[in-house]
Amino acid sequence: METEASTYLIRPKHKFKAGVAKEFMREILREGLTGVQYNPDEIPTLTRSLAESIKKKLKGVGFERYKIIVQVVIGEQRGEGVKMAARCLWDADTDSYAQEIYMNDSLFCVAVAFGVYYY
Amino acid sequence: MSVSIETTNFCSSREMDEYQSGEETLFVVDEITTIIKETVESIIGNSSFQRSQINLWSSSIVESSLNQLTKLRKPFKYIVTCILLQKNGAGLHTASSCFWDNTTDGSCTVRWENKTMYCIVSVFGLAI
Repeated sequence: METEASTYLIRPKHKFKAGVAKEFMREILREGLTGVQYNPDEIPTLTRSLAESIKKKLKGVGFERYKIIVQVVIGEQRGEGVKMAARCLWDADTDSYAQEIYMNDSLFCVAVAFGVYYY
Repeated sequence: MSVSIETTNFCSSREMDEYQSGEETLFVVDEITTIIKETVESIIGNSSFQRSQINLWSSSIVESSLNQLTKLRKPFKYIVTCILLQKNGAGLHTASSCFWDNTTDGSCTVRWENKTMYCIVSVFGLAI
């Protein structure tokens, strides 16, 4: 009986690099939100488009066999208290996340990108 | 003189290796929404926004949600995020964009509120 060479990779060749992802997210947030005022009509579209561009950018970087989840939260700055937490059940050897926060006078923005390896 | 002929039936054991793709491997939104609602209710159901407590609350919410999700024993990796926001008249928007397998992976977002605060919990489930 012939045995085929195994193509099932349990570990990634290149791990999800959080530092690289963070840099890209910082750039995109800065570009998209500098000088922007909180406007309830425009912000929903802006939030969605930021999430889309971050995801596109991370896809372009080419983390092989990684599923990517991007979450963007934009809120108005009114002195209120906000707390965001995340917990993940995954494989710590292969999966990772990157986060970035942007603030200006009228709004704050939190972006998180999770990279999950697909076995 | 007797001749006995033996025949052996060689059955392929492929059926046993077939991966069962039934209910157990799908991301069921309703079930998860119920679990999350119950979890949030039990942790901050009757409380008012207190700056000193929010760290504890947000950690407890994500941890117990994750615990409840693991009890489902499905072959999934989970990501749970929780946002606690004080009611101050300010607006908040969340958006998420995901690059995954639409047939097996899913997400759900639960919004909960009481008199003094909002709680938004997002769960992402990725099939292994």
